[in-house]
Amino acid sequence: MDNIIEVKDLVVKFGDFTAVDGLSFDVKEGEIFGFLGPNGAGKTTSIRTITTIQKYVGGSIRIGGYDIEKDYREARKLIGMSQQNISLDKDLTVRQNLKHHAILHKIPRKDIDRLVKETADILELGDYMDKKVCDLSGGWKRKTSIVCAIIHQPKVLLLDEPTAGLDTRSRHMLWDLVGMLNSKGTTIFLTTHYIEEAESLCNRVAIINHGKMVAMGTVDELRDIIGRVTVETTYDDGKHRQEYFKTMEEAKDFVQTIGDRMYNIRRTTLEDVFLVLTGESGGIDDERS
Amino acid sequence: MSVITDSFRVAWIDFMFIKRNLPTVLVMSLVTPLLYILAFGYGFGAGAKVDGFDYIAFMIPGVISMSTMTSCFNNVAQKVLVQRTYYKSFDELFLCSMKPTAVILGKSWAGMVRSIISCAILYIVGMLLTQDMHLTPQALVIIPLCCLTYALLGVVAGMLANSHLTLGLFTTLVITPMSFLSGTIFSLDSLPDVAQWVLYVLPLSHSTDCIRASVLETSFPWISLCIILIYATAFILISRHLIMKGRN
Repeated sequence: MDNIIEVKDLVVKFGDFTAVDGLSFDVKEGEIFGFLGPNGAGKTTSIRTITTIQKYVGGSIRIGGYDIEKDYREARKLIGMSQQNISLDKDLTVRQNLKHHAILHKIPRKDIDRLVKETADILELGDYMDKKVCDLSGGWKRKTSIVCAIIHQPKVLLLDEPTAGLDTRSRHMLWDLVGMLNSKGTTIFLTTHYIEEAESLCNRVAIINHGKMVAMGTVDELRDIIGRVTVETTYDDGKHRQEYFKTMEEAKDFVQTIGDRMYNIRRTTLEDVFLVLTGESGGIDDERS
Repeated sequence: MSVITDSFRVAWIDFMFIKRNLPTVLVMSLVTPLLYILAFGYGFGAGAKVDGFDYIAFMIPGVISMSTMTSCFNNVAQKVLVQRTYYKSFDELFLCSMKPTAVILGKSWAGMVRSIISCAILYIVGMLLTQDMHLTPQALVIIPLCCLTYALLGVVAGMLANSHLTLGLFTTLVITPMSFLSGTIFSLDSLPDVAQWVLYVLPLSHSTDCIRASVLETSFPWISLCIILIYATAFILISRHLIMKGRN
């Protein structure tokens, strides 16, 4: 597979503050690539830079082979984006918002109504087309935002925190939608801080913290970094401690050494990897084996 | 040419908003200027003469001039601020490969159209109230030009403001004083030379002179027209700079 996004040594600064610090990664055509990081890690800044709406001070970005500094118009044609803050005109209807995006993307007038209907039908927006955006629930607003982003049939869809603030049903609806678009050939790049979302959706995941790349790979590759087996031990003061092991045998050997403390042996999750690599233990006492 | 076409693509959604809310838009644009005509024209200034004209004939072109600014500025500045900082839909325009100039003009058109509609109604009201007001070719050019200039000022303010509070401060400190002190409801000739010099730095003094001269068919102030054009160009360049600086 060819790389559709290539980011090399990206640096983004806001005054003296470095929001993104030497980030490098590639996204392959047709994959779902997840960008994980705690709040303030630089996820939104990175995605805004990739979509050409945020300036950067160092490094390079290529989309579909186009350098976004020199050929940003060509690069923009290949991407669609649904921003973290839903960027629709809330005083107007779903149909009007979709039509406006079609007009902005210079889709011929004779094709606009047909294309708006077809794209909206894919995502079952039909019943909501003439409702004002401000009257929709969060999930339907997000759906509308994604339809706007794909109306010109981009090769890459960038989703910034697509499920933030949504209830469980809406989140599942969005996951189905992402899977469906990907099955039709669209490369998906999504940022999230919901680890189970990245774990279940993404072919590869990058974890960033303080604007720097911490780890990147498939979920299994990331689990290998700390060990695929986790032993969770409960101490007398009620605190839990995790130990990570490469094999089940190593984990069982360890359990023999902890006396009569309560323990749980389980598969290491992406959340464990995330917490260890970003140092975001959230009160849990983490230790690498 | 593609910039102009693209600017109408940008403006489409704002035109939809006007179409959908036309009665409200008209009421909001017309009530204040009509109150000015009533209060100043028939209240304070009844029977008075200014520059050889009845006061009502003198002031209505001034109120039209004031409307070109207040209606355009408020509408465009608020829209740009809201779309840029709250709806974030301003970014979408750049994602769709729109050039900065197309975005600037596109954001101006709707405010301009809204203001032209209210100016046209005020013009008709004025012609019904006084025989001294005439429909002239110069007026048909200068009024839209003034509307465009203040719509562009609205884009600049909407780009610079980071909240409704800062935009409100700009309106209170710049727009409101300018709307009253730029010869709209009184003649600047009645002020000391220094005050006149200061007020002629402001674009609205020149718009008022141009609109009044074209409506009342007195000698046209071509220098004022040039100054308005310089302001319009400056506002485009400043907006462009602000967009290019941060790509929004």
